[in-house]
Order: sequence, then structure tokens, then C-alpha cells
Amino acid sequence: MRLELRGITKRFGSFTANDQISITVEPGQIHCLLGENGAGKSTLMNVLFGLLHPDEGEILIDGDPVKFENSGEAVRRGIGMVHQHFMLVPVFTVTENVVLGFEPTKSINRVDYKKATDDIKRVSKEFNLDVDPDAIVENLPVGLQQRVEILKSLSHDAELLILDEPTAVLTPQEIDALMDIMRSLAAAGKSILFITHKLKEVKAVADVITIIRQGRVVGTAQPTDTEGELASLMVGRDVNLTVEKSAFTPGDQVFEIRDLVVRDDRGLIAVNGVSLDVRAGEILALAGVQGNGQTELVEAIAGMRHVESGTITLNGRDITNKSPRQVLDAGLGHIPEDRHRDGLVLSMSVADNLVLNTPRRAPFARHGSRNLTAVRQNAEQLVKEFDIRTTSIFEEASSLSGGNQQKVIVARELSRPLAFLMASQPTRGLDVGSIEYVHKQIVDNRNKGNAALIVSSELDEVLALGDRVAVMYAGKISGIVDPSTSREAIGLLMTGTTSEGAHV
Amino acid sequence: MELVSIVGVTPQANEAAAAASGRTRAIGAIMIGIGVFTGLVFAMGVSSAAHSGLTFNPVNLSNAPWHVSDLTVATRWVNAVIALLMVALGLEVIIRSPRRAVMVRFGVVAVLFLFALLFWVVRTPGPSPVPVINFTAVLIGSSEVAMVLIFGALSGVMCERSGVVNIAIEGQFIGGAFIGTMLASTTHSFIFAALGGAVIGGLLGLLLAFLSLRYLSDQIIVGVVLVTMIGSFSSYLNLQVFTPFPQFNTGTLAPNLAIPLISKIPIIGPVFFDQSGFFYFMLILVGAVSFALFKTRYGLHVRAVGEHPRAAATVGINVVRVRYINVVLGGAIAGVGGVAFMASQGQFQPGYTSGLGYIALAAMIFGRWRPSGAVVASVLFGLSVYLSQNLQTYNVPVSTYILNMFPYIITIAVVSGLIGRVRAPAADGIPYHRE
Repeated sequence: MRLELRGITKRFGSFTANDQISITVEPGQIHCLLGENGAGKSTLMNVLFGLLHPDEGEILIDGDPVKFENSGEAVRRGIGMVHQHFMLVPVFTVTENVVLGFEPTKSINRVDYKKATDDIKRVSKEFNLDVDPDAIVENLPVGLQQRVEILKSLSHDAELLILDEPTAVLTPQEIDALMDIMRSLAAAGKSILFITHKLKEVKAVADVITIIRQGRVVGTAQPTDTEGELASLMVGRDVNLTVEKSAFTPGDQVFEIRDLVVRDDRGLIAVNGVSLDVRAGEILALAGVQGNGQTELVEAIAGMRHVESGTITLNGRDITNKSPRQVLDAGLGHIPEDRHRDGLVLSMSVADNLVLNTPRRAPFARHGSRNLTAVRQNAEQLVKEFDIRTTSIFEEASSLSGGNQQKVIVARELSRPLAFLMASQPTRGLDVGSIEYVHKQIVDNRNKGNAALIVSSELDEVLALGDRVAVMYAGKISGIVDPSTSREAIGLLMTGTTSEGAHV
Repeated sequence: MELVSIVGVTPQANEAAAAASGRTRAIGAIMIGIGVFTGLVFAMGVSSAAHSGLTFNPVNLSNAPWHVSDLTVATRWVNAVIALLMVALGLEVIIRSPRRAVMVRFGVVAVLFLFALLFWVVRTPGPSPVPVINFTAVLIGSSEVAMVLIFGALSGVMCERSGVVNIAIEGQFIGGAFIGTMLASTTHSFIFAALGGAVIGGLLGLLLAFLSLRYLSDQIIVGVVLVTMIGSFSSYLNLQVFTPFPQFNTGTLAPNLAIPLISKIPIIGPVFFDQSGFFYFMLILVGAVSFALFKTRYGLHVRAVGEHPRAAATVGINVVRVRYINVVLGGAIAGVGGVAFMASQGQFQPGYTSGLGYIALAAMIFGRWRPSGAVVASVLFGLSVYLSQNLQTYNVPVSTYILNMFPYIITIAVVSGLIGRVRAPAADGIPYHRE
């Protein structure tokens, strides 16, 4: 299929998410759409997939202009989309998910599951996508679920596949497998529109690269261009992709976990006997695919989740099952995973958010009443120091961009006297500029001699920041390695494969 | 492509089983406790000379079945057997920790407890003026309650499978019963009454759907408000219409339609084959809803909408339309259930559904959002509701108000034991925003 987008413009109120975007995807081509979070990639794809209607511009398929009222029509015209959050019903079988909306039927409207299963087997054979049609989707690993999504599109005779940030939830090995699938689909004549902000993947798989910034196409690039060139096109200025770090001089042991066991919300064991040490002046980076117990581990350390057994020690004090306030008082700085849920009170001002965990303490309060002058002065100083872009310190936190919201949290946590910084997914959803900034703050804090635990599912971040890298899989530490270890070896640890050589 | 490492059973699977078995053991222990209590009080607590009567001939029945003679049993030993049965079921649950139907076993123990209580009160010498249990009459009476519960539970299944919580079943019962008695009294046709009930229930469903789908209101609050509103409004109309014009609420029972020959089989015949048209309609409806939800294309769409509406929308399914259809159909089913209830009572009285709509909702949860499960649950709940309501006629030395709590206590026990073990449709009760 030859797809052409001509001058697509989409506005939300006064905000223009897509501004005169034109792209052409040729058959058998892997076309990369590279841009930062918030650049307008997802909006464009939702327009293409019939989920949003463009204000201006047109979509042409093989030269014919088309208009999609809903995504069902887009699917019928041969467009398939693999969403970042899978559009699969977890309790359905693979077959039920694949045929949904396109069911072959027998008399009295019965679904012909036999025909459906046969069709799926045929398609999965044709494209070499091996999946058990009778498996329940929620029992499949994420990589296979994604394969079901691809299979679903192919079964609906998709000629163009849109892959929206498909690698965010995958292990390095699964990413490689996905790249192979993409190449073989393109070889079979399918067009692929690959949306991402990860430069490595773009270079590995793209035929053509289109770069989007602030809703506009700002240029095209070649896969042979360097990552630095791609990044500066994406951001609009030169960026420093490497994190400057001084040599690692570890001090005394500050933080220690022994045999920690924690349950998740469903009562299942999520952290299963984890032991970790962090020394002063050291960043321990915790890698792993999301959902392997990192969230529960972090919550347990922060006092937000009950510890079943084991101990957590900070600065010689036992903080196991202490309240979040006691843990913070012991010297923990915490940048939580979900900044909207755990990091900020969005409806409160920037100034109040900057003292969120110290409101009762001098100088911000005296004799049980708040000292608003001190709160204001603190806010003015931190906004300047941490370069928080806000029109006023009295602005609601919800009105800030994601990067600036994260800066509020970083400023609040790092401006307190700390012994230990724990940051979970500290740069998730941030633009390259903010990522640079947050990374620098974390490293500066370490250079001052503080200990830090950084939890991230981005392997690049883990390798850039960590002095040592621990890998978590299925609630256990599958290995602790040096950051110079190969990505492949760490990828294997992320799938639970422990090889002797990988251990330190 | 090397993919060995990512294909495997999720490590949590075993853990889930372990967590569940802890709860299962607790339930088993409760069952044994009830068994021991029954054994000590209802069996060992009576003199060995006491005996209880059992009869199998339904009262007031022209179409009497072939005769089965009455039975007199030793109270102590019958209850001892019942107690042993309870303990055995409890032990089985603890030792085998079955993955399914634990709650059904618990429900069986609850019903056995009520029967043991019955045997105990009708013993001679004993407090009861009636020295026999009419077994067939108990089953017939329970089947009427169960029928109404099944209508309600099916309504709940229809709505919640599409992702809308219909807590207004009680209100749809009341509305159906009200319009049903008017139509039955004036037209003398229960078919018209049923149609009227379906229309009223469907309209109430439409109102619920409109508020929760168009204005994304909280479905639980809308549902509760609807019940309260219908309750008050029907009381008002009762006062304004039925009191001055009693001819609109004359009180007619739906006639029984006996199936020749098989209705004469003792016990089974009167319970299953000598019932009103509503009972037979309910049986057909169970099959129809089950078939529609699990075999047809429509059903696949409904379940997808209830689990992951956005996924359904991306393949061109109109989420809002599916929900409208199901909530209106579900409301209509509950409306007919209200007429069926009225037709088994013979008249409309304000407030006489006394929470059956909520018990139906519990039966739906107990039945894991499946029509067949809802039937099993409704039978157990029907028995316990009927028995506890009728224990007073036996002069049980416990306050009737306490006895009336019994079905709700079972409901709480069952529903709380189930939490975390069965899963509601994932999008149940969550408003759907189009992008």
C-alpha cells in the first residue's frame, strides 16, 4: 500500500498538535516517525487510524483520498495499528481477540471458531508468527501479546502496519525479535510506519526517517546518520547524549536490604528475597522489564507498602515497615514512578508542592501554623536554581509540562539534606532536554557523596547512570554486573537467564 | 528467531493458587464449625426419643402427583447425618482445596443448616404447632423465589457483561410488579402484564443507560437513586390509585400450566413441571442468554465491550450502542421478573420485594457473571430466603427479625468470601470516554 498524508493539521483548542504534516509511505518500506514525547506523533497516528478527525489535510491510499469516521473503517481499508497499550482483551483467547469485529459466522449468528482458528493458523504460518490460537492472552508474555496484535492486523488484511512505541515494554531480545518480524513483513510487501523516540532502534530498522518536532515535520534523515545528528534534529539543538561522570569512589555502606519479601496488590509475592547494598557516592541502577517487582520494591523502601519479611536499613537505622514520614526523616529522597499519583498534588500550587513532604517543619511551619513567607521564598529560590519553567510559583502543578513537573519533584527531594536518593523511572515521558537535566542532577548528587538507587526499564539510562547494575526478574535479583557489560548479557539477565560469566 | 526464554508460564501463577488456598481453608473451617454446631445443638441437643415428620404431598394442589407416603424420622439421627455431611464437605474443601465451586459447597452447607434447623423445630415433643415439614411445598416455595432471583441475576449478567453496573434491578422489579398487577387486573392476561413489565423495566434501563453513558454519571449512584425513586413513586401511586380503585390491583395468581404425565412424578413433577408460564419462560431465557453471550458474534462483542471497550472500539464495535442495547434488554428482563414476582404473590404491595433485587445481584456475583452460575446461586439463595421467611410459622424460638436477616448474612458471607477470587468484567462500572 502506498500511503500519503497531505497537510494534516489537528488542533485542540488553541493548541496545534499537528501542523501541515505531509508524509509518504511506500509499499515494502519501513518508515520511521521520530520525535519526542509530545511532538504530535500519537495524534497523527490517531488521525490516520480514524480515532481523530483532522481539521485540515487529506489521507490518500494508493492515490485515492479516504476519510475514516472510525477506526473500523481504517481497518477495512487495510490499515493495522499495534498500540503502545495493547488493544487485546486479556481474558479472551488469541482466536477471540484476532477475530473480534471480523467474525466468520455460522447460522443464527454463531461465531465459526473452527474457521477462525484455521485462518489464524494459516496467517501465522504465512508470516512465521508462531502463537497458540487457544492460549488465553493474559497468560502470554508481553512479547507474544504484541505478536498477537500484529497477527490481528494481518488477519484483517492490513497492508500498512502502524507500530506505536512498540519497544517500550520489551526486553532487548524481544526487541530484536520484533525487528526481525518488521523486516520480514516489509520484505513481504507490507508498509510499516514505526513510531519511536529511541535512536538505536531507528538506526537498526528504518528505510526512511521523518522527524517531527512540535507538531511539524522538521526534516528527514538517513539510517546512516549518527545518533547525535538524529537527536539534535529531534530536539532542535545539540544535545549531549552521554552522561558526564567522575570516577567512582565508593564510601561507607549507607543503604542495605536483606532478604526482602513484599506482596503486590493481589496478595502475590512480587519481591522474593531481594538483597542489595548501596554505598556512599555510588549509584546502583536497577534494570529489568517493568512488572518484575521493581514497583513493589520501591514502594516497600519508601514505606508505602507492607514488608512481609526481611529488613531495610538506612544509615544504620532499621526502616522496615516504618511510615513514609519516618523513612523520609531517616534521610530518603524519593522520586516516585508515577509523578501524578505519588509525586505531586496536581491541584496545588508549585510552591506548595515544593514543600509537600516538609510542611510541618521549620522554617515552613511554626507552632502548627504555616509560614507562607518561607514557603514562597523557598519556591522562588528553587524555581530559579532548578530552572523550573512556570509563569508563577502559585500556578497549579497540573499546568506545567511533564518535564517541569518532574523538575519540581527533583528540586523538592534534592534540596533537603539527604543520605539516600531513590528514583524510579526518573525520566519517563520526558523530552531529551529534561532527561539531560535530571540525569545531571542525579549524578551531581552522587558526586556530593550521596548514595542512590535508580530504577529504570530503559537500558540506556541504566547503563549511563549506574556505577553498578542490578537486574531484577520475577521478584529476584538475577545478577549484579558492571555497566560495561554487554547489552546482550544484561538482556539475558532481564529474562531470568543467569549465566556464570555475567556475575560479578 | 530465538524466543525460548520469553515463552513460559508466568511465575505468579503458582502464587495465586497459594493465596487462594489459604482462603479456601478458612471457608472449609467455617463449614466444619457450622457442622459441629449443628451436631451439638440440633442433633445431640435433642432427646433421642424426639422425632420429626416429613411429607411430600403439596398442599392445595388439584393436580396431585402420585402418592408418596409420609415419613417419620428420629430428629437426633437425621441431624447427626446432616452434621456429618457438613463436616465432610468442610474437610473435603480443606484437604482437596478444589479450585471451583467452593462457594457452592458453602451454600449447600448453609441450606443444610436451615433444614437441620427445620427438623429441630418440628420435632415432637417440641415448640412447633406443625409437626411435619412439607418437603415438596418447601421446594415449590423456594422455586418461586429462585425464579425471581434468576430473572434479576440474568438482568445483571446482561448489563455487567457489557460493562454497566445495574444496581437498579430492585427498582425494575417494583416497576414491573406495579404495571403487571394493573395490566393483569384489567386485561386478565399475564402475557400483556409481562410485556408491560418488560417495557417499564426497559425504560428504567434506558434511563440508567442514558445517565451513565451520555453523562457518564456514577452508575451505582444512579442505580440507587432509581430504586429509591421508584420505591417512593410506587407507594404514592399505590395510595392514589390502588386504594381508591382496588379493581386495578385485584390479586390474581398466574395459573399453573401442568405438563401432562411428568407433572405427576412425586416431588420433581410439582416443582419443575407444574409451574406458571413465567417459570418456563425463565428456563428458556437462561438458555437464550447463555447461548447469545457465549456462542454468538453479538455475545463476543458484548464481552469485549465489558472487558476492554477501547479494544472493541478499535475494531469498529460501537461501544455505546452495545451498552445501550444490553442495559435496556437487561432492564426488560428484570421488569418481567417483577411481574413474575407479582404473579406469585397475587397482588402489588409497596416495598414487598424487600431487597430481592440486591440478592439477585449477589447471585450474579456468586455465579461468576454466568447465566448457569446465576441459576445455581439463585437456587441456593432462593432456598435460604424462603426457609428463613417461613421459619416463623414453625414457632422457632428466635425473633423473626433476626431470622429475616439470615439470607442477607449468607449473602455477605458468600460475597465477601468471593472477593478477589472471581473477577468482574474488567470495565464493569467504568464510564467509557470516546477520544
